[in-house]
Amino acid sequence: MLESFAEFLQTLPVAVLVSENLFPEVEAAHVVALALFFGTLAIVDLRLVGLTSRHMRFTQIHDQVLPVSWFAFVLAAITGSLMFMANASTYIHNTPLMIKFALLALAGVNMLFFQFVTFRGVAAWDSGEPAAAAKLGGYLSLGLWVAIITCGRLAGFV
Amino acid sequence: MFIVEFSDWLANTAISQYFQVTLWVIPGMQTIHILCLAMVLAGAVMVDLRILGRGLKSESMAAVAERFLPPIKPLVIVLLITGIVLIIAEPGRTLGNPAFYVKMVCLVLALIVTARLRRYAATATTGDRAPVLLALLSMLLWTTIIVAGRFIAYIEPI
Repeated sequence: MLESFAEFLQTLPVAVLVSENLFPEVEAAHVVALALFFGTLAIVDLRLVGLTSRHMRFTQIHDQVLPVSWFAFVLAAITGSLMFMANASTYIHNTPLMIKFALLALAGVNMLFFQFVTFRGVAAWDSGEPAAAAKLGGYLSLGLWVAIITCGRLAGFV
Repeated sequence: MFIVEFSDWLANTAISQYFQVTLWVIPGMQTIHILCLAMVLAGAVMVDLRILGRGLKSESMAAVAERFLPPIKPLVIVLLITGIVLIIAEPGRTLGNPAFYVKMVCLVLALIVTARLRRYAATATTGDRAPVLLALLSMLLWTTIIVAGRFIAYIEPI
């Protein structure tokens, strides 16, 4: 089932195009996108845990920096999907990449929990000491994304 | 040719041999390298966007530059150290590679542009024309550095 789906992805014209002619370009764009994503997200997360930018309200950083992160995330997701499709049959047996996908799902859950639960009470900790839940969410996000980038790099070595 | 002889000599040194057989060195150093360049790119882009009138608009240009540009120096030092380890681990792949030299030239230019932006932000008074071209150049150079870095893996060393 997974095998045949990977086979299907890999034979799509766009996958063939990337694997035969564009893989280095797509990969380079992926690295630029993930760098911009992680770097800008780190600015938000470091404020969230209360380590930096303490003179600004969290919502200021959140509103003014996170749109850049989302832009970069979309670019990273598109380029990442193209890379995956180009070698799907091999990649489904790539352990670091599978761990990366699992961690991406966890990062997504962490982000959703933050946006829909923790962030609702932001008024109480927008300035000053962040709430414990906010700190936890920020550290989890930083840890997960470092692990995701590490697994992504390792995927190139197996 | 000097570069080839030097690469061969370096590849035969004990430290290079050690890095070559120690599995974690290359992926580990590359991962640290990517995480640091993410922070550099994000810091530079926050300043560039502020100059273009986007991003952290609730803060002054001087404040944004003072917060995001100084960390670039220690980060670049970590990038140089991890980069040098990667060169020692694979001298032939890097030192004979045109992409590596493109990356180094762009790095020097990016550091000059960043220093100029920092000087501008520190001395600018209201009414001064924002250095839009310099900000665009900054983004272009840091992006090129990352792309050229990734292309070291794809361009044949001469």
